Amino acid sequence: MSGLRSFVVRRLLLGGAQTVAVVLLVFALTEALPGDAAVALAGDQPDPARIAAIREAMHLDRPAHERLLGWAAGLAHGDFGTSLTSGRPVTTYIEDGFGPTLLLATTTVTLLIPLGVGLGVLAARHEGRLVDRLVSSVTLGVYAVPEFALGVLLVTVFALRLGWLPPTAVGYGTDLLGHPAALVLPVLVLLSRPVCSLSRLVRAGMVDALNSPYVAQARRYGIPGARVRYGHALPNAVAPAAQQLARTVDWLLCGVIVVEALFVIPGLGTVLMNAVAERDVPVVQGLAVVFGVLTVVLNLGADLVAHRFAPRAGVAA
Amino acid sequence: MKGRSRFVLGAAVIGLPLVLALLGPLFAGEPGPRAVSFTLGDGHWLGTDFVGRDVWQQVLHGGRPVVVTALAATALAYLVSLPLGLISALTHRSWLEELLMRPLDVLLAVPSLLLILLVASVFEPGAVGLALLVALANIPDAARIVRAAAAEAASRPAVEALRMQGETWWRIAFGHVGRAILRTLAADAGIRLTGVLYLVATAAFLGVGVAPDAADWAVMVDRNRTGLFVQPWAVVVPALLIVTLTTGSNLLFDAALDRRSGSTRRAGNPRRPGDNRRNGEKVRQS
Repeated sequence: MSGLRSFVVRRLLLGGAQTVAVVLLVFALTEALPGDAAVALAGDQPDPARIAAIREAMHLDRPAHERLLGWAAGLAHGDFGTSLTSGRPVTTYIEDGFGPTLLLATTTVTLLIPLGVGLGVLAARHEGRLVDRLVSSVTLGVYAVPEFALGVLLVTVFALRLGWLPPTAVGYGTDLLGHPAALVLPVLVLLSRPVCSLSRLVRAGMVDALNSPYVAQARRYGIPGARVRYGHALPNAVAPAAQQLARTVDWLLCGVIVVEALFVIPGLGTVLMNAVAERDVPVVQGLAVVFGVLTVVLNLGADLVAHRFAPRAGVAA
Repeated sequence: MKGRSRFVLGAAVIGLPLVLALLGPLFAGEPGPRAVSFTLGDGHWLGTDFVGRDVWQQVLHGGRPVVVTALAATALAYLVSLPLGLISALTHRSWLEELLMRPLDVLLAVPSLLLILLVASVFEPGAVGLALLVALANIPDAARIVRAAAAEAASRPAVEALRMQGETWWRIAFGHVGRAILRTLAADAGIRLTGVLYLVATAAFLGVGVAPDAADWAVMVDRNRTGLFVQPWAVVVPALLIVTLTTGSNLLFDAALDRRSGSTRRAGNPRRPGDNRRNGEKVRQS
């Protein structure tokens, strides 16, 4: 018990350190700007009024540590500063983009788990045979394909050639639920990589589990095959995959940014890309903190869950 | 045999994009005069792109930046993570190990694409900057693997014997431990290169580290998307090449890994230091 508690404490400390580091890293970025940050950010339109406005908005006349403290204190109260280009609070940007991104992410994860586990179990049941070779080769091949290339090809086939689905979500605004057809391709593209990694892990775990002595013993007792597979072998196969699921958060995040750009979905990824293009540093910083802290929290949660499932695996902390 | 057939499959899939990427610029020749955007035919084998350039010529030029940036980023990542991992595995001072490895744990928390976009919003990195950023995103993971493999190799009796003979730290670190972990590193480098290819292409698609009209497969996909309905070839050909490049490299390295470790079945996590090393001697003879 004390082992579990010390693990939890260590993991929580690491999570806290990571959160602080994300905030520091994001802040350090504006400090890294060469010369006068306001001039550098004004970029193509270096008129004095704009430079003064940037200096004012980012409090560049105050020393760095004061700005860091002020910004961090604001973050703790949910105040992310104001945009350089529009003057609107960064929180309104986040609120605007939150809905579509959340919808994409939840749909993907809801489909990811049954699909990944199902494919993995299917391949493991037919180990070495045609089905297994097919599933293994396809998941291995698709695993590393960038979302944008796959997405563009899917659009060409399903929207252009066959005309089954809309090519982008243009015109639907944030009301994506009302137009499920526009969601099919984005979710399919988002699923491609995580499904492959998950199903490969489940397959490997399931093959090991099915060849283990305890499964052989259960079979000797005459326990029905389905119960052996799903009641005994599967839980052991899923435990290592649970942790990998957290790593796919990183992928999902990358994927969301690309997919939103590709299908013109007005989510957080689009907001981020627009802010990057306009060098709207406060918006980029705010979104980076949201994304970074989200990753830290989800990884933390997954490690704690994985540790609960398989305490012997020794989750890295 | 099965491993060999997959090896052949991987080599076949990666062959075309790799040859195009490496040798394409040699055969591209001089760029012709610009034609109308997004047209088909008229002497242009694959039509013209968004500013009226010949798509086939852009395809010939566009693979090299992707492949070269990915190779450079992978090499850079190891250049930093190899000494980091070796030192923290071989040192007896635990504070030094903590000092070297803990910051990496923290960096691991930042999603790689987010890191790249963050920097891109402030600086405007070129191709070199992109390679540096992708390498930076890969250092934490690579250093952890080097450390794990080296720690295992360093705990072997041979290293103890060397230490008792009074061999220098450098001889032990690079002469023995470094050599012992080579195979693990080769396996990891293959996987890492595939991941780096993904990251480089995705960043270029999002406009990081490339000129807006660069001859780069990923940039071509992005910029020619507006003409997808008129002239799909300008998008489909580079997209297909990127798909075959990444798929092929993953199939190839996976098959190579299987042959190395001598087993047809591999668990989900290929980075088990012991596995590759155990069969190392056998492979060297063959």
